[in-house]
Amino acid sequence: MKKAFILAGGLSAVLMGNAYAENVLNVALNADIRSTDPGVNRDTNSDAVMLHLTEGLVAFREDATVGPLLAKDIQVSEDGLRYTFHLRDGVKFQNGAPLTSAEVLWTWHRYLDPKTQWRCLGEFDGHGGAKIVDVAAPDPLTVVFTLDKPNGMFLTSTSLPECGGSGILHPDSVVDGKWKAPIGTGPFKLGEWKTGQYIDLLRFADYKPRDEAGPDGYTGNKSTTLDRVRLLVIPDPAAAKAALLSKNVDMLIDVTPLDSQELAATPGVKISSSGTMSVNALLFQTRDPLLKDVRMRQAIAYSLDTTQIVAALTNGLSKANNSMVASGSKYHTAVEDQGYGFDPTKAQRLLSEAGYKGQPIKLLVNKRYPSIFDMGVFAQAMAKASGINLELETLEWGTQLERYQTGNFQMMGFPYSERLDPALSFDSVTGDKDKEPRKVWDNPDAKQWLQEAMRESDPAKRQALFDKLHQQMIKDVPLIPLYNGNSISALRDYVQGFRSWPVSKPRLWTVSVRRT
Amino acid sequence: MMRFISQRLAMALPTLLLISLMVFAIIRLVPGDPALLMLGDMADAHSLEVTRAALGLDQSLPVQFLIWGKAVLSGDLGHSITTNQAVLPLILDRFQVSAGIVLVSVLLAALIAVPAGLFAAWKQNSSLDFSVVATATLLLSIPSFWLGLLLLYGFGIKLGWLPVVGYVSFGDAPWQALSYVVLPIVTLTLVELGAITRMARASAIEVLRLEYITHARAKGLSEGAVLWRHALRNAFAPTLTLIGLILGNLLSGIAVLETVFTLPGIGRLMVDAIYARDYPVLQGCLLLVTFVYVLVNLLVDLLYPLFDPRVKL
Amino acid sequence: MNKPLPASAAEPGALALSAPIRASQPWRMPPLNALIGGFLLLLLLVVALLGLVWTPSDPLSLNLLARLQAPSAAHLLGTDEYGRDVLSRLMIGAHTSLWISILTVSMAIVAGTLIGLCAGFLRGWVDRCLMMINDALLAFPGILLALGLMAIIGPSLYGIVFALSLAYTPSVVRVVRGTVLSLREREFVEASRVIGNSELYTMLRHIAPNCIAPVCVLATSMFGWTILAESSLSFLGLGVPPPAATWGNMLAASRPYIATASWLGLFPGVCIALSLLAFNLSGDALRDRLDPRMRK
Repeated sequence: MKKAFILAGGLSAVLMGNAYAENVLNVALNADIRSTDPGVNRDTNSDAVMLHLTEGLVAFREDATVGPLLAKDIQVSEDGLRYTFHLRDGVKFQNGAPLTSAEVLWTWHRYLDPKTQWRCLGEFDGHGGAKIVDVAAPDPLTVVFTLDKPNGMFLTSTSLPECGGSGILHPDSVVDGKWKAPIGTGPFKLGEWKTGQYIDLLRFADYKPRDEAGPDGYTGNKSTTLDRVRLLVIPDPAAAKAALLSKNVDMLIDVTPLDSQELAATPGVKISSSGTMSVNALLFQTRDPLLKDVRMRQAIAYSLDTTQIVAALTNGLSKANNSMVASGSKYHTAVEDQGYGFDPTKAQRLLSEAGYKGQPIKLLVNKRYPSIFDMGVFAQAMAKASGINLELETLEWGTQLERYQTGNFQMMGFPYSERLDPALSFDSVTGDKDKEPRKVWDNPDAKQWLQEAMRESDPAKRQALFDKLHQQMIKDVPLIPLYNGNSISALRDYVQGFRSWPVSKPRLWTVSVRRT
Repeated sequence: MMRFISQRLAMALPTLLLISLMVFAIIRLVPGDPALLMLGDMADAHSLEVTRAALGLDQSLPVQFLIWGKAVLSGDLGHSITTNQAVLPLILDRFQVSAGIVLVSVLLAALIAVPAGLFAAWKQNSSLDFSVVATATLLLSIPSFWLGLLLLYGFGIKLGWLPVVGYVSFGDAPWQALSYVVLPIVTLTLVELGAITRMARASAIEVLRLEYITHARAKGLSEGAVLWRHALRNAFAPTLTLIGLILGNLLSGIAVLETVFTLPGIGRLMVDAIYARDYPVLQGCLLLVTFVYVLVNLLVDLLYPLFDPRVKL
Repeated sequence: MNKPLPASAAEPGALALSAPIRASQPWRMPPLNALIGGFLLLLLLVVALLGLVWTPSDPLSLNLLARLQAPSAAHLLGTDEYGRDVLSRLMIGAHTSLWISILTVSMAIVAGTLIGLCAGFLRGWVDRCLMMINDALLAFPGILLALGLMAIIGPSLYGIVFALSLAYTPSVVRVVRGTVLSLREREFVEASRVIGNSELYTMLRHIAPNCIAPVCVLATSMFGWTILAESSLSFLGLGVPPPAATWGNMLAASRPYIATASWLGLFPGVCIALSLLAFNLSGDALRDRLDPRMRK
């Protein structure tokens, strides 16, 4: 009897699946999320999903600056040590409880507790940035943070996706000291999570949006018309593409430039793309006996026709960018546009000055990031034309990461994940080589300018510092940034309202589905 | 019989231990560590330390092995480094998927192949025999993942009859679930048909020439009875061994097929675990796969005497 | 990746012949499987050798303007995602695949025979020890062994050879040991001992030669399995590193283009299938020839 019932149920579910008017969006994820605990035991997919469920006090706007989200406004004291957040009125958690400063306090105390293992604890406990000395709640709608020194990056750091946007959670998310499920204030709440298969996000009916007319990045008005979002785990890109073509999914969040070309030409599919702040670069080990001569590194830089390489690698979506400041950042000006240019004659002159005799130089690449591999192939071909002998060595990603970490390489193609502020970008390559071998640029002036840029809040002063850093980097050539990545999504044409943006993570609350 | 079983299971223990040691050592010899992979290019010294400690990787290797071993003996296979899920339910879940597809395929293949092989042997050197052998050899020569790709392209993309990705468990929606596993099962069945048919035919040919068959025919038994009662039982024995071997190997070699059809099976789990250096998952998977392999061999050995009375337990 | 299955799983020793003395037989038309198998093998060998010295175009040169072109006069089998000529790559792929197979099978056979002879002959705790390790290796999923070893050594052609030989040796050991065991007690071995020959001499002179037949048959199958294994490993991302061309590499790289450039996946697959067919048929023919009971 039960079997017949299940059979009938299954059959009717299949038949009715199309008739039911539930507004559902099916999206392909390239890997399952790690956990539902924002900022703890996470990866990029987990961040992307959790930022639909939780909201922080502040968040990134469309133009990648930081603006209030759960806060109504923010006041910074004269000395830069005290940040006062006034909370919005009437915001509810997904369990019905109202948002007050008590929950903000609870959330932040939990984040700052080493036992939670919050990914960004190092930013706020004195290891980096500035230390949060105190978090206080003078009244139910006000929270005050006190730092030990002024830090221009404080608000940015709390908004970072890898910190889970410092999403404010309700204490009921943790039961008996163990994480249970996220109870946030976001436009979606967690439905079913079938590990390895899919995650369902359900609309939070009592979501209290901000007053703005429309969404603005991660802030603004985030109300949604979708009833349910199903994120299907499809690790294999070819399978994901096939699923889109057969309408098993409505959207692919990330496709390669090559696939996007093909998909753009497919009827019923459209493409949405935006530059991101990730950097694809060729790294040098400046302590290598052959490459420690700056003329060698310059020669390699001049032998590459970066414009052509980037055009081929990204199908024209990205521009060549020899700066660590992303093309899409507002700090990228004409100064940062100054790069190396394609000059084989100069390259050959530098080679003979350096006394290069054709010794092979190993360039490490991997197949996990196809763009890195392709970059290596092109670089090798072009450098050869100027007489530079680059040898490609393909490693498995885990192995290459190890070599990166220990500085054990001559050259490598490397994908830097996105940093939402130029100071963070420069920080990923600048440092003390003895302490952190992975930092390719060890220059005392650079280190000092970087520290200042982290402390400084005034945009004009920061711009001047970034300009100096860029110009020095062009002189020193510790690495050759080639281009910034792109976030390309493929959607069926009945999916409306989706927009890619430089912060690259998807915002599915803006999407509406109009199936015919 | 019970003594035999318990003896065999006891003999399997050193194999299990050896394999655990092998896996433990090999995966840790591989450069790259899970904490680093988790943090990627954002791995500063402090975060690495914190992450490593959280994963229990900051202790010496022998200590790590002992901790893991002790936990295993009490039924706890640890937690995945990448997803933080408990390993035992995870691998059992994934194993269910792979095992379901493998078992159904091998069963289907056997059901078709054994009678076909028998029939071909009976009509040896006829055109029927020839076509059976030719088909079997052809099927044997096709790489399974290529066949899978072709079927996927044909039925999934070009014709659009079947979904190309995903998996729904039978518990949730039987009809839907069926549509997801049809292609992988068909692929695997076709591939295994070749080997099983040939083995069945070969053993049947051997048996059919033996004296007791002539004797049975001389006694006046009909061909059908001869085939069924005598030839089949005895020819089946080597085929059974082959089926056991296939089962044992498939469960670990199925990774490629799972990649083509995007099935959440144990093969893909193992491959992903290697790439992510997910030690607990890998160690758990190896234990399970080895255990199943031993069990399947044991089962085959137990069933063998049913078909070949010359062999005693 | 499937582990090799012994040619005749039930009785590995059944194919051994005692000292054969055959009267010379009139030459008969070789059976069909030998003909086709032999022909395909020859074709494979010719293409592989030819690929060493000549290919229609340079298999390694990129041509970004001619990417993903369908088969045409200029490129008989089309071009791949870098604009390289598919036919040329298939030819050098033949050479690489064959080379990997030869190396792997040789290593596995040499190692497996030695170990199998020792285990079968010496028996006792040596045998038990060896068989325990052997069974552990046999139970260990080959793919993981290969992946793990190659992540340690680094993806390379010799890494694959090493990993695959390690994975296949246990099967050879099993077959050889089985043969030795079944032959130990046979009359001619007894006779040899009675005459006064040492154990070692007996083993080398009488038993070892009889292992050749089953091992040969196993070897033909192993050639095919190696090609299959290498393609599977490439499919999973750990084959011979680019820009080298192997059929497995090419098949793996064709996946994203299955809908738009289906020829990329078709031809390498056909090559793999034809090679497997060649080895299977040749193996059959060899076994038929060596085992009188299979003949009608």
